[in-house]
This record gives sequence, C-alpha cells and structure tokens, in this order.
Amino acid sequence: MDTYLVSVLNGLAMGSLLFAIALGLSLVFGMMDVLNLAHGAVYLVGAYVAVALLGDGGGPAAFVAAVLTAAAAGAALGGALAAMTRAAPHHLDQALLTLGVALVVAELLTVAFGSDVHSLPAPVPVDGGVRILGETYPVYRLLVIAFGVVLAIAVHRLVERGPLGAVIRAAVADRAMVAALGVNTGRVLVGVFAAGAALAAVGGVLAGPILGAQPGLDEKVLLLALVVVVVGGLGSVRGALLGAVLIGQVQALGVALLPEYASFLLFAAMAAVLLVRPAGLLPAAAGVRA
Amino acid sequence: MTAVLELQGLTRSYGSLTAVDHVDLVVREGERHALIGPNGAGKSTLFATVAGTLRATSGRVLLNGRDVTALPESARARRGLLRTYQHSSLFLGCTVLDNVALAAQRVQRVAHRFDRPARRFRRTQARALEHLESVGLAGRAHDLVSALSHGERRQLEVAMVLAAEPTLVMFDEPTAGMSAAETERFVTLLEGLPRTLTVVIVEHDLDVVFRLADRVTVLHLGSVLASGPPEAIRADEAVQAAYLGAARTEDLFTGGAR
Amino acid sequence: MTMLQTSAPAPTGTVRGPRPARRGAVIATAVGVLLVAAPLVLGAYPVSMMTRMLAFAVLVLSVDLLTGVTGMPTLGQAAYFGVGAYTAALVGVHVTSDGAVQAAAALAAGLVAAAATGWVAVRARGIVFLMLTLAIGESVHQLADTWSAVGGSNGLAGMPPISVFGAALPAAGFVYWWVLAVAALVFAAVALVARSPYGRTLRGIRDNEARMRALGYRPALARFGVYCLAGAVAGVGGALWAAQARFVSPGDLGFEVAALALLSVVIGGSGSLWGPCLGAALVLLVRDSLSAYVGGHGALVLGVVFVAVVFLMPRGLAGLARSRRKEVRS
Repeated sequence: MDTYLVSVLNGLAMGSLLFAIALGLSLVFGMMDVLNLAHGAVYLVGAYVAVALLGDGGGPAAFVAAVLTAAAAGAALGGALAAMTRAAPHHLDQALLTLGVALVVAELLTVAFGSDVHSLPAPVPVDGGVRILGETYPVYRLLVIAFGVVLAIAVHRLVERGPLGAVIRAAVADRAMVAALGVNTGRVLVGVFAAGAALAAVGGVLAGPILGAQPGLDEKVLLLALVVVVVGGLGSVRGALLGAVLIGQVQALGVALLPEYASFLLFAAMAAVLLVRPAGLLPAAAGVRA
Repeated sequence: MTAVLELQGLTRSYGSLTAVDHVDLVVREGERHALIGPNGAGKSTLFATVAGTLRATSGRVLLNGRDVTALPESARARRGLLRTYQHSSLFLGCTVLDNVALAAQRVQRVAHRFDRPARRFRRTQARALEHLESVGLAGRAHDLVSALSHGERRQLEVAMVLAAEPTLVMFDEPTAGMSAAETERFVTLLEGLPRTLTVVIVEHDLDVVFRLADRVTVLHLGSVLASGPPEAIRADEAVQAAYLGAARTEDLFTGGAR
Repeated sequence: MTMLQTSAPAPTGTVRGPRPARRGAVIATAVGVLLVAAPLVLGAYPVSMMTRMLAFAVLVLSVDLLTGVTGMPTLGQAAYFGVGAYTAALVGVHVTSDGAVQAAAALAAGLVAAAATGWVAVRARGIVFLMLTLAIGESVHQLADTWSAVGGSNGLAGMPPISVFGAALPAAGFVYWWVLAVAALVFAAVALVARSPYGRTLRGIRDNEARMRALGYRPALARFGVYCLAGAVAGVGGALWAAQARFVSPGDLGFEVAALALLSVVIGGSGSLWGPCLGAALVLLVRDSLSAYVGGHGALVLGVVFVAVVFLMPRGLAGLARSRRKEVRS
C-alpha cells in the first residue's frame, strides 16, 4: 500500500512536469499545425542550465536564477524556432526544420557538457524528506506537485478565461478567421511558441533533481510529451492537463512495477486511448469551450 | 421499371440553414434524370448527401431498394453509386492512364495486387484505354494529369467514373469549362451509354438538359419545385418564374408569375 | 484503336518510352558492376562502410515506400529496422548463423511488429501520422534500452559471423556481397510494388484520398497494408545491419536513425526509389566519415544539413508535403 502511495505521488510530480512540458507542444500544434520536434531539446537546455548553475548544490537564490535563465533561454530558442518555422511554407518542412534544430542543440549540449550522466541535488532548504502515512517522501517532489497545481490554475485562468486566451483559443480553432478580424496572429503565435518553450525549459530545471541531465533525455521527454498531447487531444489545455496526470501515473506505475517495460506500458496506454477516442480524450474543439 | 435511386424526405442542414429540405425523388432504371435549379438551390449539397460525402440530417437514401443512408461514401461506390465533382477531383501526380486505371482495377478486384507490374494486367490497361479513347484522351494516356487543360480534365473525370462501372452515375455540372466541341463529344458519349446505366445530371446548359433528359427535377431553395418530363417542365409556370426566367418581361416588374 | 496507334508511341501502356528505359538500364548495369566490383579494389574499411550504407539504404527504401509513394511521412521505421536487427542477432546467437534464415526471421518480425503497432498510426494523416510514428518508434527504442533480455542499454553482442547456405564467409568482402545481393532483391521487390496496381492505389491515396473513397476504395486498408510491407522491408534492413556489425544496440533504432532515414528520402527526392538510396549513402557518409573531422559530432553537421535542405530545396520538400510529385521511377 505504501509503495502505491509513493508511486501515486511520484506520478503526480511527473504529471506536473509533463503538463509544463507538453502544454507548449500542444498549443503550438493546435494553433499552427507545427510539430515542434525540438521540444525535447529545449527541455534538455533547461536541464543543463540547472547542471551549470546548481551542479554543486545551491540555495533558493541560485535555484531562482536557474529557473529565470532557463526561461530566458527557452523563450529565445522558442522565438527562433517560431521565426524559422514561419519562414518554411509547409507543415512537413516545419517539422523537419525543428528536427534539424533538435539534432544541433542536443549535439551542442553534448559538446559542452560531455556525455556523462549528471544528477542534481534538490535546492538546500527543501532537500529533506517529510513523513506521510509512515513513508518518508522528498519535500521537493511535493513542491513540484504544488507547482503543477498552481500552473494549471494560472494557465486555465489565462487561456480559458482571459481576453488573450480568447485569441489563443480562436487561433486554435481557425487561425485565418482570427487574422481576418485584424488580430496580429503572427505575434500571438510567436508569443505562444516562446512561452511554451520557456515552460519546457523551466520544466527541465524543475525536473533536474528528479531526472538529472544526460544525452538522450531529450528523446525520452519528447516521447512523453508527445504521448501526453496525443492522449489528451491536440491543441487543448485541459487535454494536456488530463493527459499529463494520466501519463504521469502510468509512467510512475510502470517504473515502480515493470521498469523494463515502462515504455511499452506508455505505448499501450496511448494505443488504448486512441482505440476508443481517435482524437484524444479532450480534443480542442470540445476541450477549450470554456 | 424499378427505382434505382429513391430519396425519402432527405434533409441536410448546416446549423439553421437547411440546404436540402425534405426532398423526395425517384430515379428509375435507365433514366436520364436532370436536376436543375438556380444557384444556391441545393443541387451540390443534394449530390454530396446522396453520394455519402455528407451525412444526411434526416431522411433516407435507397439504392436499388436498399437503405444506404448509414453507409459511407466508399461503400455506396462499391454498390455502384458513383459521382463526378463540380471542380475536377483527380490524381494530379499520376498519369492520365493511372487515373482511369485506378477506377478500373478496383472493379476488377486487382487493386491490391503487387505480384506483377501494373502494365502486365492487360485487362485493366485495356479497359482504361478504352474509356480514355471514348472521351478522346487516349493520346495523352502517359502524360501527367497536371499537364492537362481544364476541359481535358473534365473529360478525364467522365472517363474515370465510367471506368468504375457504375449502375448509377451522378454528374455534377460535367460540361462546365468544356469547349463546345468537348461538350458535344460528352453529350454524344452519354447518348451512347447503355440503358442499363442510370444517369443523374446537374447541368446549367439547358440545351444539354433538354437533349439528354427524359425526366427533369427542378430544385428551388432546397426543395423540389417540380418533377416530370421535359415538356411538362418547360411549360410549368412556377419553374419559369423560379429558374428559366419569367416568360413575359412584364412579370419581372409585377412579380406576378403565378 | 487507330487513334491510339497514331498518337501514343507505347501502345502496351508502358509508363515511359523505350529510349529513357534503355539509358536507365545502362546506368543501372554500370552501377551494379561497380557495386559488385567494389570489394576487389577497395580496402576493408570502405567495404564495411558500404555494407552499412546498403543496409541503411534498405531502411530508407521502407521510409520511401511510406513517405514518397504513399505520402505518409514517417519517423517510426527505425523501430522495425531495430526489431529486425535484434531478431537477426538473437537468431544468430541462439539458432543459426545462416544469413538467409536471419533475414527471413527479421522480415517476419518487422512485419509482425508493424502490424501490431501500425493500426494506431494509419488512421491519422500528415503531421499527426508523423507524430504517432515517432511515438511508436521511441517507445520501441526505449523498450530496447531497458529490456534486459536483449541486453538493455548495453546492446546485444556475441553474434557469430554469418554463413550463407551452409558456407562460412571468409572475408568482409563476402559479407558485403551477401548484403548487396539481399539489398538488390529488396530494391527489386519495392520497385515491383511501386509499379504494381497496388503501387498505383498507394499513389492514388497520396494524391487524393477523398477521391479514392468516392471510387469505392477503403484507403485505411491500403495504408495499413503498405505500413506492414514497409515494416517487413525495414526488418530485412536491420538483419543486414546486424550481419555486418554483429552487434546491435538501442542506438541503432533511435531518434537520430529515424531522422536520418527521413532526411535521406528528402534529399534523394521522395517518390523516386534510387534517389533516396543515394541519399542514404550520402547521409551515412557524412555521419561516419565527416564526424571524424568535427570531433565525433556528425549529428551536428546533419542537423545543419536538415535546416539547409528545408531552405535550399523547398520545391522538393513542397512536393513531399503537398504530394505533387512525378511518376514513381525506379
């Protein structure tokens, strides 16, 4: 029973991180049909920012600095990707472009940080454990769960309630129509792209004490994010949240019970959802109707 | 003669707009049935709903007495209900021959064979060339469709749909964009088709309509205004008012066609 | 028929006139002779390099069958390539060193794996299909990375040298010839599929799927069929890869391999069959040879090539995306 509690909590922490990472991927796809294959690489940039700034352990100040640096780097990378993909005429070209960027960024990170596995300590005041129902559980992971909750509420407020959100949702539904109404969709698109990438990079920092940083992690994270988006439904905030929570649990359970076949479980979960609901659980058309 | 196609209260709505409104229609075997009506009368929507491209909002479509309302477009096509498109819908990256052969090989049940090159399936090739010849495109068999002129593409569309060996063909404005010579060839081709084949045709060219059709149905604002032999339709005042233009010019000003 | 006789030079319905066909045959023969003669003049390293190129080219052919012929851009074929490679290696370690048996087992494994996973993806189109194939590919990749029965992240080593029909192959050149023979066979088979009525069906789906439905086709069925075929082809490619390397690691079916296979098709010109094979050779050459000059970071160069290809060859890519390509020529 106790191991299940730990697994559920681990799944929630994973779900929080996955929501932060997958949100940008989903919205960018929903709005402009761009499949950003560099999303995992952006995440890895964040993870290595954490390695550079927090590698030897650090206090809250260093942690905040790492988060801000990663957000800035992610936003810059996202902006660059948005500009590049807007210059390419077709969706497949755009996907290939981001694929190229993904290879370049991942290789540059390997050049800079080597191919070793880096693990990171949790920042100093929250690196201990706390007892829950007789189990010791890392405080840091609880904070990650809390971060996920706050992020979900904030994004929900912003995208599903606010005026900016109306533009984003409308752009997901019909971009040409929004442009015809006189909204500068280009700026909105770049903004969403950059914000989504920044979130992914921040996710990389936050996940540092849990997943560490190593070459190849970008692929794993990209896979998880893709599965979250497919399961949740493309272009939908609620879908991304539901998918992230679900896949977080599947992943945590898989790692706890069948570590060798965790990725198979992931695929099975995706296949099962697609079998019943080919468009995902909460696709944009139904999911964003606030 | 039996009804090949029967529509019972067929309705198709887009939100509050009802494009096809409770249409009842019977098309008998071998009939040449023309569907006319002013722009926006719902002809194209009716076609798409009958073919299964669009789902019916309510009502039924019966093909050879069997209810096909729930069947998808491809299943209706396999039962012999084929259509052409108002705007040519072809395989632009393939050769002219390939376009027609795609229809022929499906009927001959060799569409999924890969044990020999396509050109060694002589029956398919011969049938495709036959149909190309009947529309005068045999000489262009090996050109890419993207190299064809607009009129030639219309002809190819006709050859392709006939190569699928339908029992009922619905032509959606087949002569739009054809030259006078091409139109003449098309009408002659249609006149020469065996009477086992039933034809429904949407056409703006009334000369073509009255030359070919042995029954005409007039659609107006989504519903059937009149249906009958061409002479009766010609004489029908309601039709004249709605579509053919008022018979007497003074009616244009008094609005009293009836 | 008179009209046909006068205006069309090829009454039997061949796709091309006789002249380009003859020139093509001459070029094909010349390339074939050069490929066969290569081990007689080249050293051991170039020959092993060419062996790998041939195996990779078979993978690229499978990607081309989906992407170029059918218009389904994929990043998942490396998974079936890997399934084939692992199968061949396992057969080699535990059952027999016979290369033909290994290739046949890999073909079957690739086919079964594609059939088991492909139905998830084939219902989607375009970029969503690309996304689902990537998810499938990465799932298989990470399964290989964690599954201890196939060596996990250490890979699967200890595969004995292959034999062919009971005879051991005494030198690297003979492995090359074996791989060349099988690759040529696969090429011929894929070319046959592309020119067959089924290939015509696939091109129809690529160009206008809605019209295919209106003609009475069930495109989903044909798409699933070609997905399974492509899985089988990729599986054979994996067996050839294992025959040369005698070692399989999860890296052989990773994201990078999938990306490079798609890049090869794009560079080579999708829809043509020999072009992507050439692209495969080029891409592998860049990755393996050039990486020595940039400190082992060939992927860096290839990433840049990716970006450059999108901007410098937009027409080729546009054709790929919008499916307006020329007739398949092999």
